[in-house]
Amino acid sequence: MQTDRSSKLSTPNATMGPKLTDKKRKSREPEPESDDELGNGLFDGVLSQSEDEEDYIPSDDEKEGEDEDEDDSGTEGTEGSEDEGEDEDDILSEDIPSDLDAEEEMDKLVKQGEELEITEPGVDPKPREDDSMEKNFRIEKDANGGERYVYDEIDAAYDSDDTDAQGPVNTIGDIPLSFYDSYPHIGYDINGKKIMRPATGDALQSLLDSIEVPKGWTGLTDVNTGNPLNITQEELEIVRRVQMGLLPDDLQDPYPDTVEYFTSIEEKMPLSSAPEPKRRFVPSKNEAKQIMKLVRAIREGRILPYKPPEEREREEQEEDEVHFDLWQNEEPQAPNPMHIPAPKLPPPGYDLSYNPPEEYLPANKEREAWENADPEDREKEYLPQKYIALRKVPAWGTLVKERFERCMDLYLAPRVRKNRLNIDPNSLLPKLPSPAELKPFPTVVQTIFRGHEGRVRSVAIDPTGVALATGGDDGTVRVWELLTGRQVWSIKLSSDEPVNTVRWRPAKDAFILAAAAGEDIFLMVPTHASVTPVLDQASRDVLAAGFGYATNGQGQTLPAGKEPPAKWARPGTKLEDEGVLIRITVRSTVKVINWHRKGDHFATVSPAGQRSSVAIHTLSKHLTQIPFRKLSGLAQTAAFHPLRPLFFVATQRTIRCYDLQKLELVKIVQPGAKWISSFDMHPGGDNLIVGSYDKRLLWHDLDLSNRPYKTMRFHSEAIRQVRYHKGGLPLFADASDDGSLQIFHGKVPNDQLENPTIVPVKMLKGHKVVNKLGVLDIDWHPREPWCVSGGADGTARLWM
Amino acid sequence: MDEPMADAPGPQVRVTFTTTEADLELPESKRQLLVPADIRRYGLSRVLNSESMLDTGSIPFDFLVNGSFLRTSLEDYLASNGFSFETNLTLQYVRSLIPPVFEASFEHDDWVSAVDVLSDTSPSGRWSGDSFQRGQDRILSASYDGLLRIWNASGQVLTTSPSGSHGGHTASIKAAKFLTNSQLASAGMDRTVRVWRYTETDQFSGDLKPTLELYGHAGSIDSLEVDGASKRLLTASADGAIGFWSTSKTSAPEADASLLPGAHASKRRKLTTSLTAAQRGPLSLMPIHSAPATAAVFDPRDRTVAYSASQDHTVRTIDLTTSTVVASLSTSHPLLSLCALPRAGSAPLLAAGTAARHITLVDPRASAATTSVMTLRGHANKVVSLSPAPDKEYSLVSGSHDSTCRIWDLRSVRPATKDEGGLGGVSEPVYVIERESSSKKKKTVAGEGCKVFGVVWDQGLGILSGGEDKRVQVNSGRNVLTE
Repeated sequence: MQTDRSSKLSTPNATMGPKLTDKKRKSREPEPESDDELGNGLFDGVLSQSEDEEDYIPSDDEKEGEDEDEDDSGTEGTEGSEDEGEDEDDILSEDIPSDLDAEEEMDKLVKQGEELEITEPGVDPKPREDDSMEKNFRIEKDANGGERYVYDEIDAAYDSDDTDAQGPVNTIGDIPLSFYDSYPHIGYDINGKKIMRPATGDALQSLLDSIEVPKGWTGLTDVNTGNPLNITQEELEIVRRVQMGLLPDDLQDPYPDTVEYFTSIEEKMPLSSAPEPKRRFVPSKNEAKQIMKLVRAIREGRILPYKPPEEREREEQEEDEVHFDLWQNEEPQAPNPMHIPAPKLPPPGYDLSYNPPEEYLPANKEREAWENADPEDREKEYLPQKYIALRKVPAWGTLVKERFERCMDLYLAPRVRKNRLNIDPNSLLPKLPSPAELKPFPTVVQTIFRGHEGRVRSVAIDPTGVALATGGDDGTVRVWELLTGRQVWSIKLSSDEPVNTVRWRPAKDAFILAAAAGEDIFLMVPTHASVTPVLDQASRDVLAAGFGYATNGQGQTLPAGKEPPAKWARPGTKLEDEGVLIRITVRSTVKVINWHRKGDHFATVSPAGQRSSVAIHTLSKHLTQIPFRKLSGLAQTAAFHPLRPLFFVATQRTIRCYDLQKLELVKIVQPGAKWISSFDMHPGGDNLIVGSYDKRLLWHDLDLSNRPYKTMRFHSEAIRQVRYHKGGLPLFADASDDGSLQIFHGKVPNDQLENPTIVPVKMLKGHKVVNKLGVLDIDWHPREPWCVSGGADGTARLWM
Repeated sequence: MDEPMADAPGPQVRVTFTTTEADLELPESKRQLLVPADIRRYGLSRVLNSESMLDTGSIPFDFLVNGSFLRTSLEDYLASNGFSFETNLTLQYVRSLIPPVFEASFEHDDWVSAVDVLSDTSPSGRWSGDSFQRGQDRILSASYDGLLRIWNASGQVLTTSPSGSHGGHTASIKAAKFLTNSQLASAGMDRTVRVWRYTETDQFSGDLKPTLELYGHAGSIDSLEVDGASKRLLTASADGAIGFWSTSKTSAPEADASLLPGAHASKRRKLTTSLTAAQRGPLSLMPIHSAPATAAVFDPRDRTVAYSASQDHTVRTIDLTTSTVVASLSTSHPLLSLCALPRAGSAPLLAAGTAARHITLVDPRASAATTSVMTLRGHANKVVSLSPAPDKEYSLVSGSHDSTCRIWDLRSVRPATKDEGGLGGVSEPVYVIERESSSKKKKTVAGEGCKVFGVVWDQGLGILSGGEDKRVQVNSGRNVLTE
């Protein structure tokens, strides 16, 4: 396009024909119209360009064209769309004829000629150029009649950033001047006009020049203009000053000599010896008068200090306003409660006096001690000193240090009001119901059962709650009337072995007591007078049933040579007359008997017996079974679950729960006690209390965890026995070697989600500690909140 | 007698004397009086006895102020109750109580479980009718050794019942009562009630012959109540049953053979008993209690109604003609003893001794709810025996395992404090009778000491109590309480 227009615009310089063809050729250049033309097109184009350059004639027209070119490119954005439309027309008009025959082509050319009228010379292009009237050029006719673009003068002040440029400035940009060596001009001025190379004189001229040196001649040539570079006088002066190291610019002397106003030189021989008149030394009266006049005027307000008129106006307005003192009636208020004044230093005492009483003065020893002590250790930071007169008192030596420390104290010591924690410590305790609300529970001893010689090792209340059985070190089992403490039955089972445990058979259909003395377990019917013959007979029948079983040969068959785990036999007529009907002999000393709730089975534990330590006896079959071939740990006690067919065995540290139907280990309860002494199942079956020889009482929730729900350490000695109330009251108790029983309220809620409430309610003291043994066993009444304890002091006690 | 109120220095208090006793009433004009504030019971008593007042000479009086006996000076009473000296005090005067002085004790071989008295003022004396002569007062004691003993008032044993092998009780006797002067009944741990015929040959010897053995209970019989007029017995047993028996051979039904001692003799230790008494069963046996029944008493007015107490916390009203429970009153503690305090024209007030160391007074008229009218507090152990005061409906004596008997006056009432439950009134004992045998020893705990198992209060003989110290202790009972 650029080339297009340039060719179009350059038409005034060239003849019509070649220009047209040239133009055509150029426009066809990118279009492969014919093979020939295609073949030469490229070269033609190149050549034409080179021709153009070679044929360059430095003329005004040419210059103008160039100018126009440049201008066009500057305004291309505004004109582009219009030109494009024209070009397209051109292309169309030229493409189509190539494919058609000659006639048609001629027609087309005619049409085209009509269309191209505007560009034809001699035709006024005004109607087409209406829009370009706003542009900064106008088109005139030159001498040849061709059009000529005349551009407006450029207002440099408006469009240029080089307003200071004085003379003609060469605007060729940052290129070496040697580029123009081959041209007659050396660049362009701001208007785009060529700056012609100044004529270079010949050698003679330059010689002449060099001889006739004009003022300011330097012999140099101005690079930009090519003229000889002359320097003005002023410039020369600047150069000189620069060379001398002076200020180049300021031609004034910065340090002129001072002109003294009065002479500073006291003349040795003054012209007049008259003394200075007095008026030179006294204030001038006239001036004073003048000043007083002014002062008076100021006082009377005739003279006012100067103020800007606005301010004066404002002041006048303000004078009219009425002001109120908002705070005039304010009453003094107490300081902010958060404000804490700095503590005051104590006032100085007598010892700080310069003349203190004698008793305040330190003795020599004290002085020495004070001087030898470290400053930190000194009680006082000074020694009282006496001076005979106040004026003899020296400066206070440590004043600065003291003041500094005081400042540090005030600054660094935090003065904060202490927020006392206003919490009642009792409110932090867990909310437990008071023991008075948890009545009934046993509180005092009401009956003391005396009769045993030696310790009472075991106590048990029968299922009806009328009789109490005790077994003791004297080898006897005694049955007592519970309320009165009357002994109604007694049997001596062994002369050397203590009765370790007595337990009633739980069912009420018979009246059977099991007792263990040494390796023997005795089953007896303590038939005292209150037992009816029917009940007595029923009990005997229950015990005797197993003999028939054994004689019928249905007993278990043992491998030959293997000793049965226990021997069931009749104890002999002497004991049988008293009601002791069966003796079961096992291998080692039985310490614990626990009945199954139905009364047909009971478990015994003999901790010393190795693998036969735990045995389950079946009353109806006179059968003894050893459920565990091997037991990890020393068995301490064992019990049946109160509801389900589960069996619990306690070893020293753990309690294992076995399912008796599936014959598998269900659970291992780990109370964390070092040595379990006893445990008891809650009648609900989900909770367990464990007593241990390391003084701890542990409550287990079997559903919750294998670990204890609560650990209580209230005893000072080992806990021997723990027992739940089985008659529906939320009570449990433990017996300890410290001679006391502790009664707890332990309510197991029906809601599984709630935790049991455990409250210690009473400590029952009364048993004496004998040989570090206190209370050995405990049992609850089946209905009432009464409990019986057996102690090492030989008594059993009923608490209610 | 001087006028103590005239010109007395110090503060004075205006008092108003009232009384419920008609023969001791003051004329209207003399009832109000100004007395010195520091006057005590004795001074007030002298004022009343003075010529200007009642002119009675020397009747000791006690004074009730607001329901409690005046035991301090008026001044102190006012101060401790927060009254001012301007208060007009109403003093109800009653004949004073004389402390029940120890008179004698009869020694036994074993614990004494029950005591009864035959005298002209005792029920048995009345039932005896004309055959009983005045002055032939007899004391019956039942012992844990299984023997009954009959004493005269001077402490001589007239006779002892035969032992178990000779028709007597084979185990401890827990209760014994005179029916008449010739008949008595006993019951004990051998589950039997035995009816004896008592004859006296002369003043100093007698004879006890068993006439009837009554079987029926399956547990120890703890209580026996007799009605000499209708010859009926009422028992309470540890098996929870109440037995109703007849003492006549003819009217009593046959005994249940299974309960007889010979039933399984082959397998039991042979008891060589010479069977001399007939064996009979109960008229009715009412297993109405779920826990051991501890006491049963007849209604003092209507002998067809009985009340029973049990360890199952209930007092039940039994209609004996139909052997049914009419009403059941629940208390909060196991009951161990019961006595009926007659009230004129109404059902009796029942006093029940509890295992919780107090006596609960219940009104059997109020049917559904427990009406614990009053609580008598003071015992330190189970209250196992109660006896109403003779001919006084507001007093009773109780025996407890804390080795004391206590005399209660129901007129002296204070409202219950919060610790005591806050319901009803609370009374405290008027007198405490310690056991003479152990009075010197200092009691340490409630379980120590000798328990009192039975107590009876007779107008003539006084208060008799038997206990663990193997003695029957007699304390004078006359005028212990005011009329």
